[in-house]
Amino acid sequence: MSRRFIVEPRGLAPWWLKLLIPIGSVVAAMILGAVFLAITGNDWVEVYQKMADAAFGSGRGFAETLVSATPLILTGVAAAIAFKMLVWNIGGEGQLIFGAIVAAGVGIWLADSTPQIIAVVAVVIAGAIGGAFWASLAAVPRVYLGTNEIITTLMLNFIALNLMQYLVLGSSSPWRDPEATQFPQGRPILDAGRIPEFFHRLDWGLFIAIGVAVIAWFVISKTRSGFEYRIVGDSFDAARYAGIKVPKKVLGTFLFSGAAAGLAGSILVAGILGKMDPRSLDLGLGFTGIIVAALARLNPIAIIPVAVLMGALNNAGPALQSIGVPSATVKILQGAILIFAVAGEFLISNRIHRPDPIAGEAKAEPEAQAA
Amino acid sequence: MPSADQSSTPPAVELRKIDKSFYGVLANADVDFNLARGEVHTLLGENGAGKSTLCSVMAGLYRPDSGEMLMDGSPIVLKSPKAALAAGIGMVYQHFRLVSNLTVAENLALGNPEVGLRLSQSELEAEARELGERYDFPVDPTARIWQLSVGQQQRVEILKLLYRDVRILILDEPTAVLTPQEGQALFRAMRTLADEGRSLIFVSHKLHEVKQVSDRVTVLREGRVVGNVDTADAEPRDLARMMVGKDLVLPTRAPNESIGDPVLVVKDLNVQDDRGLDAVDGLSITVNAGEVVGIAGVSGNGQRELAQGIVGLMKVTGGSVHLQGKDITGTTPLKSIKAGIAYVPQSRLGMGLAPGLDTDDNLALKQFREPPYSKGPMLSQKAFKTKGAELIEEFDVRGVRPGLPIRLLSGGNLQKALIAREVTQDHCVLIARSPTRGLDVGATAVVRDQILAERDRGIAVLLISEDLDELLALSDRLLVIYEGQIVGEMPASEATAERLGLLMSGHSEEQSA
Amino acid sequence: MNESVLMLTIMAGIGLGTPLVFGTVGEILTERSGILNLGVQGMMLFGAVMGFWATFVSGSLWLGVIAALLAGAGMSLIHAFNSITLRVSQIVSGLALTIFGTGVAVYIGKAGSDPLIGQPSKAVFEPIFPEAVADLPIVGPLIFGHDALIYLSWIIVASASYYLFRTRPGLTVRAVGEDPASAEAAGINVSKVRYVHVMLGGALAGLGGAYFSLALVPSWQDNPIGQAGWIAIALVILASWRPWRALWVAYLFGVAGRLNFTFQTLEINVPATLLDMLPFLLAIIAMIVLTSGKRARFLGAPAALGIPYFREER
Repeated sequence: MSRRFIVEPRGLAPWWLKLLIPIGSVVAAMILGAVFLAITGNDWVEVYQKMADAAFGSGRGFAETLVSATPLILTGVAAAIAFKMLVWNIGGEGQLIFGAIVAAGVGIWLADSTPQIIAVVAVVIAGAIGGAFWASLAAVPRVYLGTNEIITTLMLNFIALNLMQYLVLGSSSPWRDPEATQFPQGRPILDAGRIPEFFHRLDWGLFIAIGVAVIAWFVISKTRSGFEYRIVGDSFDAARYAGIKVPKKVLGTFLFSGAAAGLAGSILVAGILGKMDPRSLDLGLGFTGIIVAALARLNPIAIIPVAVLMGALNNAGPALQSIGVPSATVKILQGAILIFAVAGEFLISNRIHRPDPIAGEAKAEPEAQAA
Repeated sequence: MPSADQSSTPPAVELRKIDKSFYGVLANADVDFNLARGEVHTLLGENGAGKSTLCSVMAGLYRPDSGEMLMDGSPIVLKSPKAALAAGIGMVYQHFRLVSNLTVAENLALGNPEVGLRLSQSELEAEARELGERYDFPVDPTARIWQLSVGQQQRVEILKLLYRDVRILILDEPTAVLTPQEGQALFRAMRTLADEGRSLIFVSHKLHEVKQVSDRVTVLREGRVVGNVDTADAEPRDLARMMVGKDLVLPTRAPNESIGDPVLVVKDLNVQDDRGLDAVDGLSITVNAGEVVGIAGVSGNGQRELAQGIVGLMKVTGGSVHLQGKDITGTTPLKSIKAGIAYVPQSRLGMGLAPGLDTDDNLALKQFREPPYSKGPMLSQKAFKTKGAELIEEFDVRGVRPGLPIRLLSGGNLQKALIAREVTQDHCVLIARSPTRGLDVGATAVVRDQILAERDRGIAVLLISEDLDELLALSDRLLVIYEGQIVGEMPASEATAERLGLLMSGHSEEQSA
Repeated sequence: MNESVLMLTIMAGIGLGTPLVFGTVGEILTERSGILNLGVQGMMLFGAVMGFWATFVSGSLWLGVIAALLAGAGMSLIHAFNSITLRVSQIVSGLALTIFGTGVAVYIGKAGSDPLIGQPSKAVFEPIFPEAVADLPIVGPLIFGHDALIYLSWIIVASASYYLFRTRPGLTVRAVGEDPASAEAAGINVSKVRYVHVMLGGALAGLGGAYFSLALVPSWQDNPIGQAGWIAIALVILASWRPWRALWVAYLFGVAGRLNFTFQTLEINVPATLLDMLPFLLAIIAMIVLTSGKRARFLGAPAALGIPYFREER
C-alpha cells in the first residue's frame, strides 16, 4: 500500500468531512441497497418511495417514525457515552430488557390508586435503575478484575432476553398476564403509570429521550465532571496524573450507559406497550443503538437526527411487505450504513495522498530510533 | 583473544564512512568501525550518541544513507533483519522480541526457516538444552517467557541467535537489565563465544564492564567516532572524557544568595518498579527553597520511580517523604497537586499532556477544579479560553489552533505548554524530568529560563536528567543516582562532566582509575 | 439400548452441537490470530441460506457446502479488510456484519417469485454408514450413526488442534495473536496471517450455518440457526481457545438444547428458557474466572485479541 499512496494519520479533520462521511455512508448504503433490490428483481425506486412515504408521508407515519426513534435515541446515547470512554458496552439490548422487566414489575406492583405523577416517575426511573444494575454485572468485573467487557455485556444480552421470555412465557410469575388468551403476554401495568400520548401513538417519552441526550451532551461539554470524563477517555495516564480516580470514572460511565438503555426499556413499557411485551422488546434496539452512535460519531446531539433516520427505516420495513418486498431490506440497509460508516471513519482519521518528491517536513525524531 | 595475525585476516565486519539520519537529524556521521574475528568489541557512549543506530545498521534494520559495509572483506548490503540473520549477524535488542505466553522452545522456533513444517517439541527442547549447557547458559525450554526472570529472557534471546548459528552477535546494553551476578555469567558466555571464533559487539555506557569483558573499545559521541583503543591501554578517566566531551565551560549564573529552608525531604525511600524490584533503594535527598538540586544519572537507575513515588503515581514501599514538614508519604496524585507539587514528567504526551485534547484543555488539566476554570460543577469555557490565551502568549507556545489536539504541536511547543501550566499553579516544589530533552535551541532556552525563574521565586526545584549540559547550567547542587541510590554529591562549583560521568557509570570516586 | 432416552438425547445433542463445533473452531482460529469477529451470527445465517439455495437450485449437497463456505469466507473478508487494513473498531465491524448478514439472509429467503421460505431442502445429509453397522449397541450410533458433515467436523477439530499446536504455521498464528510486534520482528507477515485466519473462521461459520439448513431443519425459515452464532462466540471462551475442548463444549450445549425436549419426555419440569440461558451464563463466569489475574496466562485469550496492529514504519 505504501508504494503508490501514503496513508498518514490526520491532525484535525475538517468539519465538512465529519459531516460528509456519515451522510456519504447512508448514500452509499442506499446505492448498494438499490443494486441488491434490482438484482433480486425489485423496483428500487418504488421501494425507496414506499419507504419514504411510510416514514414521513403522513402525520401518523411521522408519529410512528418518532415512536421508533425514541428508544434509539436512548440506546444510541448509551452506546456513545460508553464508547467515547473506550468502555465497550455492547449490552444495550440486555440493559434495555432488564430495565423493562424492572419497570414492568414496579408498574404491576404499584396500587391502582397511585397518583399519576408518582406512578409514571416510579416506573420510568425503575427502568433506569434496572438498566444500571444489569450493566453493573459487567462493569464491576471490568473495573475491579480487569475482565474484558465485550464478551460479558454481549452474553448478558441473551441472559436478559431469556429471563424476559421465562417471566412471561415459562412461568406463573407476577409479570405474566393471567388473562392473556392466545399467546402469553406481560401483565399490563397500572393505567396511572402510562406515559400519555399526544400525537397519534407518540408519547412524551420522546422528550425524555431528547432530554437525556441533551443532558449527556451538556454534562460532557460543560461541566467539571464531564471534563474529567473527557480526560479519562483520552488517556488513562494523563487522567491519573491530573489526580482523577480512573476506576471510579469508568464505573460511572458504564452505569450511566446501562441506565440510559434501561430507560429506553421503561419508556417502551410505560409508553406505547403498556406492558412487558416480549415480541416488541426483542427488536435489536440495543444493537441498532450502536449503529446510531457510530453514525452520529458518538455525539449525543447528532444522535437525535440519526435516531430519527433509523426510526424511519424501522418504520418503513413493514410497509414493504405490502408491495411484496421483504422487510429485511431495512436490516440490510442498516447493516450496510454501519459498514460504510465504520470504513469511512478511516478516512476521517487518515489522509491518503501520493508521495511527495520533496522530503517530508522534519518532525521530532522518532525516539525509539535515536541513539 | 583475537589472533595475533590480524593484518591478514579480514575483519569479520567493517563499516566505512557510515552516515545515517532520521528526519534531518544526524544519528551517525562518517563512522568507521571494524570488528575482528573472535573479538569482543565495546561500543561506548552516552544516550543519544548513536550506538543503537549503528548496531541497527549492522543488523539490517536500517540502511545507511551513505557508506558501505563489508563482511569478511566483501561488501554486502543487508536488506532486512532476516537477511542479516541469513548472513550470520544477529542482534539482541534492549526491548526483547519474545512472545510472552509461548515457551522458550517455541520462541526459538518462531520465524526460523530451518525448523520444518512439523514442530517436534522434544527436538526443539533437546537442542535448546544442549545449547544452553554448552555456553553455561541453562534455560528451561518448557518454561513460558513470562515465567522467566529478565536475565533468563535475555539468555533466550541470545540462544535464538546461536540456534541460527550466528557468527556476529550484537548485544545492545545487555547489562542494563541484569543483576551483577547475571552480568558475570553473561561475560563468561561472551568469552566462550569469542574463543569459538565468533565476534561480539557489546554496547554499554558502564565503564567498569568495558575493562572486564572487551578486547577493544570504540567511543561514540554525537554520532561520530571519537576514540578507538585497546582495552588494555584504556583508562576509565580518558574514556569518560571521550564520552562526554571536554569539560564544559559553566555559563555565568549568579549564585543564589537566599537558599531557604528545606521544602522537600526524602529519607530512605524505597520504591518498586513494574517488575517488583527495588528501583529506588534507600534514597535520601533534601531540596531547599530557592535551590535547584540536580540529579544526574543514566536512565533506568530509578529516576522514574523516584519522581513518581514522591508524587503518588507509584507506590512507596519504605522510607518517608515530607513536604514543608508535613508527611506526605504515599500520597495520591490529587493530594500532591493540592499540596503544591508541580511535576513535569518525562512522558510529555500521554502523561503530562492528554494527547487528544486541545491546548486550552491541557493548560487547565490540573487547575480545572478551581476558579476561574470552574464555578461549582460548571466549567467556564471563557476562562479556559482566556487563561489559555494568556499562557500561550506568555510562554510563546506556537502552532495552537482551537480544537487542535495538542499532540500535533512540535516537541518544543508541547514542553512550553507543559512548563507554562506547571509553573503558574500554586506550588512550592517543582520536580522536572529531562525537561529540555529533544528540544530545539529556542525552546531549550525558554525552559531553562523558567527553571531559573522558579529558583529565584523561592521554589524548591528537583531536576532529574541525563543531560549534563542541562544539569550543569541550572543546578546549585548536583547529585548522582546509580542503581536506586545517591552515589555522589557536590556543589555546582566543584562539578565537572568527568566527575559526574564516572559516578553515573558506577565508578565510585574512591577507586583509583 | 440405542433407543433409550439417554442415547437419543446424546445423538440429538451431537447433531445440534455440530454447527457449534464448526462455528466455535472457526472463531478459535480467527481469535488465535488476534482478531475478534462478532459477525459470526450473520455469517452463519448467510452460509445457511446460501448453502440451502445452492442445494435447492442444483440438487447437490456438496455444492451447497461449497456455497456456504464461500459465503462465510466472503462476508468475513469485509471484516478482515475493516479490521486489518483499515484498523477500525473490530467490535463495530463485527456487529455491523451480523446485522447486514442477517438482513441479507432473511431477504434472500423471501425474495423472488418463488421464495425459498417454507420450502423443504432438495437434499439433506443422511447417515452414511449402513443400518447394520449403525445398529450395533452403543458404539453403533455413536461412532457410525452420523452424516458426512459430522465426520467432517471431527476431522476439522483434529486438524485444527494439530495445526495450532504441532506445526510451525500454527505456532506462527499463535505468536501473531499474542504479540504481533515480536512476530513481525521474527519476519512474519502479520496481516497475511490474520486475513487467512479470519476467512477460515468465516468459512467455517458458513458451514455451520449450512448444517442447520441442510441437515437439522426441515425447511427454510427466517432464522433456522437460533442464537448459534452468539453461542459459538461464548463457547470459544469456555473452550479456552482449544479445538478439542470446543468439540466437547459444543456437544454439551447441543445436549443442553435438546434437554428441553428430553425433559418433556421424562416429564421433568425445567423451564426451557432457563436452560437456554446456560451457555451465556457459563461464558460470563468463565470469562471472569479464567481471564483475571494469573490464571489468564494459562487459560486465557491471546494477548493481542481485538487490538488493531500498527506496523512500525522503517
